[in-house]
Amino acid sequence: MDDAERTLIGQCRAGDKAAFGQLVRAHAGRAIGLAYGLLGNRSDALDASQDAFVRAWRAMGRFDGRSAFYTWYAAILRNVCVSQLRKRLRRGPDEPIESLPLPSGEPDPSLLAERSERIDRIWRAVMSLPTAHREVIVMKHFQEMSYRQMAESLSVPVGTVTSRLHAARRALRELLAGERV
Amino acid sequence: MNCRDYEPMLAAYVDGELSEQDRGRLQEHLSGCLGCTDRLAELTALQEELAMIKFTEPTDVDLQRYWAGVYNRLERGVGWILLSVGSILLLCYGAFKLIEGIVTDPKVALVVKIGVVALVFGAVILFVSLLRERLAVRKSDKYSREIER
Repeated sequence: MDDAERTLIGQCRAGDKAAFGQLVRAHAGRAIGLAYGLLGNRSDALDASQDAFVRAWRAMGRFDGRSAFYTWYAAILRNVCVSQLRKRLRRGPDEPIESLPLPSGEPDPSLLAERSERIDRIWRAVMSLPTAHREVIVMKHFQEMSYRQMAESLSVPVGTVTSRLHAARRALRELLAGERV
Repeated sequence: MNCRDYEPMLAAYVDGELSEQDRGRLQEHLSGCLGCTDRLAELTALQEELAMIKFTEPTDVDLQRYWAGVYNRLERGVGWILLSVGSILLLCYGAFKLIEGIVTDPKVALVVKIGVVALVFGAVILFVSLLRERLAVRKSDKYSREIER
């Protein structure tokens, strides 16, 4: 966490909403991207990421500052998204996230900066991964998070991140190879 | 170490997450193993494919609108808390006055008074039981802890 962000966090803790507004604007793009990768559509991504910012504001007093703000926020956002997926699929809280697919069959590509047949094919393959695989692919490749940051956001050891990424990439390669046939 | 041991290290190598020592060991293995070299090429190709996906960046206007949405939710949260506290206080006061009126009214039959008192105690026991259960779930549910972190 840099000094500017540390200052903003301190101001937020003192109840300064304008400072929180600066934090939100600084991280909104990445936040929407993460939620979009997990939920598969734009409106749900906007809703979930805004909801997670509200939760982050309320929990700001408990943020210990050991990690960057975004790493901490990503943990909250990831849980809001998983909760939304469970609600939409009417699954209970005990349902393992490995078995949570995207609720709609066709992923929404409206936030993709560029479109081509190849890009759409890759996006569809990512979106058809189970949530536990999709989230590590999104965090690593679209958010450029380090293994340590991912481990903090997912509340798992770094070794688990490594093995999940390995399994996720293997699954993705198989999906893409299957589509090429 | 054999290829099976090196396979999970390939991804960390591509991601730049290997220690210098492990990187050296893997590079040494790669120089003599075609199978792992092929797998490394597959991983690099996948990384290049995924790098093609880019999301649209929000404009300043989008960000302003987005923050306004968050701000409205923050304000609404305070509104809901005040509304809930006010409603609970008024409901409790009204219920207390109603029960007091029934219990102290000499014209009301004893059986009705006993019924009202039983109803109140029953409701309190149920509320406390539900509250205790919710708190226990909250303590043991990993997910809710993460949300509160």
